[in-house]
Parts: sequence; C-alpha cells; structure tokens
Amino acid sequence: MTKRTLAPIFAAMLGFTVLLWQPVPACAVDLKDMTFDPGPLKPLDSSLKVRAGEAAPDFALPGVVPGQGGKSLVCLSDYRGKKNVVLSFVPAAFTPVCSDQWPGYNLAKDLFDEYDTVVLGISADNLPSLYAWVVEMRGLWFPVLSDFWPHGAVAQNYGVLRADGTTERAVIIIDKAGVVRFARSFNINLRPDLAIIMGELHKIEGDSTSKAR
Amino acid sequence: MNRLATALLLILLAVPALAAKPQPGDVLPDQVVKAQLQPGESAYLGLPEGAKSFRLSQIKAEALLVEVFSMYCPRCQAEAPAVNRVFERLKASPQGQKLKFVALGAGNSAFEVDFFRKKYQAAMPMIPDADYVLHKTFMNVGTPSYFVLRPLPGGKGLKVLYFHEGQFENEQTFFDEVLRAAAQR
Repeated sequence: MTKRTLAPIFAAMLGFTVLLWQPVPACAVDLKDMTFDPGPLKPLDSSLKVRAGEAAPDFALPGVVPGQGGKSLVCLSDYRGKKNVVLSFVPAAFTPVCSDQWPGYNLAKDLFDEYDTVVLGISADNLPSLYAWVVEMRGLWFPVLSDFWPHGAVAQNYGVLRADGTTERAVIIIDKAGVVRFARSFNINLRPDLAIIMGELHKIEGDSTSKAR
Repeated sequence: MNRLATALLLILLAVPALAAKPQPGDVLPDQVVKAQLQPGESAYLGLPEGAKSFRLSQIKAEALLVEVFSMYCPRCQAEAPAVNRVFERLKASPQGQKLKFVALGAGNSAFEVDFFRKKYQAAMPMIPDADYVLHKTFMNVGTPSYFVLRPLPGGKGLKVLYFHEGQFENEQTFFDEVLRAAAQR
C-alpha cells in the first residue's frame, strides 16, 4: 500500500479515536440497557425561529399526561395566564442523554413549582413510544408531547427540527403572557445545565414581582 | 510507511481498552479534582480548608469509597436514601472510619450537585464533574457505580479493590463487601 492509499484510512481512524475521547454522557445503568446510542452527533442542525420578546407560536399536541394516559391533547395556550412554560425539546426516546434529562426535571418538581412553571417535554416520536419511555423512566409529573404527525410540525415552527426528523435538545421558556423569554438549542450531545433554566425562571419571577409593586 | 502502519495498530489496540469495564487490580489515574468543597467536607477528607483543587490520593484515608452518580439518573435518585445510610454506618463503624466516601456527579454542574445534596440531605462530600473529566478517568461507567480504591504510594494512581455498576440489591451485603475490599492488603 502506498502513503496515498493509507492516508484516508489513517484520517478516518484518527477521527474515530477523537470521537472516542469526547465526553461520554453518564447513563443510568439499567436505562443504558434500554437505550440506543447513536454516538456523537452534529451539535446543532437547525436555526431557531423564535426569539425572546416574541409571542410563542401556539400548538396542540397529543401527549402522555400524568393521570390521563396517552389520549390527552395539550395546548400551549391552556397555560396562558396560569403558568410559565418550559418547552423541553429532546431528540428521541430511548437515547442516552434524553433518558437522563427528564428524570432530572422530574426530581426538580419543587424548583419548577417554586417558579409557578410547568415543563412540557416534546419529541417527534410517536405516542406509543413516548408512553413506553415514560413508563421506563418510572413516570414523570409533567406532560410529554408527541410531535409525530404532521411530522415535527411544531418543532419546525420553532426552528428546532433537524434534517433527520429528530428535534434539537432545545429549551424555550414562555411566560404567563405567552411571550418567549428564552430560546436556545443546546449541543445535542450534552444536557443543558439546570442552573441555566432556573436562572431564567428566576429572572421572570423578578420581573413579575417588580411589576406587581 | 512503517510509521503509519504502527500508528494504525496502536489506535486499533486502544479502542477495546477504552470500552473496557473497571476490574479489581486496575489502576486509575490520580486526576486533579477542581472543586470548591463545602464547609465540613474538607475536615472530613483531611484536606486543607478552602482548597480549590486536590488529588483523591491526598485524602487522609486507607481507602476511598467513590460513588459515580448523576442528579439526572433515576436509579441514583431511588438509591440516595440507602447511600446516605451506608455513609452514616461507615462513619459509625471503626473499620468504616478507615474509608472516606466521595460522590462524583458525572456531567453535573455545581448547581445540580447542590440540588441533589439538598433534595436527599446527603452529607457525604459531593464533587461536580460538569465536563465529564473525572467520569472519563473512572472509565465512563454507568450511574450509579461504586469503587473502593487504594491510593498507591508516590502518586502512582488509585488501585481498584472493588467495583460495582448499578444499584446494589442488598444494603447489608454491599456494606460488607465494601469493608472487606477496603481491608485487603
């Protein structure tokens, strides 16, 4: 073999090794057995279409809602004037990072309650898959919504639909007036820090407290 | 040509090593831990008050019990009360006092570790590892995982005496196994 033929092989091997040395998300052991690991993905693959200060596009999606099984339709506008909303888009059910992210929000219910906030989990998976995933995560206190059909329409509207039909790992925070206060697609390979979400909710609470004075 | 072939061979040999699970007898690198310890944690670990970085081998103990956990891991959440009990029992046992317990929050920020600590009233030292630096040192194990480690003299690393990945099924059995591993010479 010549140097010319070996060079691409060497480059591919080097690239593979670099990928192996990237941070590997810690996964709960028995969930690890249930998950499909796609490996490191392109961190971002879409452009947000919503910005802080704009009205949040309304939507209605079927979801797995605590106590109501898998037949409920959830509208964003249902929460207008009642709760702040954290839209947590995740790429896909039964994948390593996602299978940890929502159990963390589940544990942090008290913190979300403190800020009068509901989480709406969203992915482009179909409802039966999401139902099975929620059961595997031992239940969640917040609705998990299926943006399956028309495929990823809500994600597309928010600018978080990836080219492969999955959604970004994005967080959109909407206040009680229905206004977007925070929108960011995070690196799909890593979990967003809970401190960022709580910091933004703290700002919203601060703003509403000063308005009430 | 020969150099290229050697490089390829080395890379191929490295791949299975990266995917391996820890085994008793393995030696882990004694990585620098960058973390601001809570009041009381430094005293428990025998480290200088206010230290912002240290190596696990600097902890004043014959052996270390290290839990790799995550605030986001439902199994770690479920096991937290039992882990707290094990920690208290170790502190109360003459044999257990030779061990020091440290929990590493894999991929967890300081905020997330602090939240977990408060949620479960966990009293053991908890170290955030937001960038997975320590997690990589601990061979990218699943959560929760438990290691009993012996610091080797001369900063030569941390010898694995015991490794368990996943929830422990029986608290008493786990406690006994940890003490037995720590007593090894």
